Amino acid sequence: MHYFSQSCTYDHSWARVVIGMWHKYPNPHCSHVVTVDVVDRTINPETGIIRTERILGCKQRAPIWIVKLFGGSEDAFVREISFVDPSTQTTTISSINLSLSQFATCNENIKYAPAPGGRTIFTQTAEIQTRMTMWRSAADKLEGWLAQRFEQNAQLGKVGFTDVLKKLWDEANERKEGVPASS
Amino acid sequence: MAQSLTSECTPLKLEYDSCFNSWFEGYLEPAVSASASSEQRAKYSKEKAEEYESKCGKIWASYRACVQKAVKEKGLNDLLDQAREENPLKEPPSNQSSSVPPS
Repeated sequence: MHYFSQSCTYDHSWARVVIGMWHKYPNPHCSHVVTVDVVDRTINPETGIIRTERILGCKQRAPIWIVKLFGGSEDAFVREISFVDPSTQTTTISSINLSLSQFATCNENIKYAPAPGGRTIFTQTAEIQTRMTMWRSAADKLEGWLAQRFEQNAQLGKVGFTDVLKKLWDEANERKEGVPASS
Repeated sequence: MAQSLTSECTPLKLEYDSCFNSWFEGYLEPAVSASASSEQRAKYSKEKAEEYESKCGKIWASYRACVQKAVKEKGLNDLLDQAREENPLKEPPSNQSSSVPPS
């Protein structure tokens, strides 16, 4: 099993980060994410919690040995479930791979919560694990490749989202107030 | 905004996304501050859920029909059903115990 985690703080309020979340793609830093679709969405009329189920389509060229062994293709799909809870100011996002899922699972959990000073803390964890007993060295290699791709994409995702938030809110502040955003 | 699974659904997706986003942007900040009482929150949530339905319900229905067809065409139906069965994720994961392993 490969385990990954990172956290960082965004210089924007929780509400602004969560609004920005829906504007993350397309993103030049994350050009591997090509399609984003909402397949289910509910707004709980009692709690106000919004649950969204999306499918993200990614283009990732897999090494030839993966394609040969596991039949992967250039297209990889991910299922993502998010909960936005305004009462606790918590956003959680869970993702799982759909492609290659008979061989390996990549389970990602993200959380956005308010941090002191009107900022927002982002925490991300992921577990990557081959699913069943198979030829051990192939399983290890597959897991290693998935983990490496995940880490690369996680870094790019952070940089890409920082840009989105900056563009969305710094420009909005300048338009509204005629002054640059205070830092 | 990113494309849809099939180019046929992209215009519907873009229309739906902008409908949702403008609703969401109006919803979120008052929802954060409406936490005075659970009664107030429920009233606000109910009104806003109805507003979303009346503003975006129609375009959502067309977009969803299109994307459901696209999911089938791409052969993702079984994978999605299997993932939903394994982990329905109907409730926020904070209701479950934390999955952070000991360091």
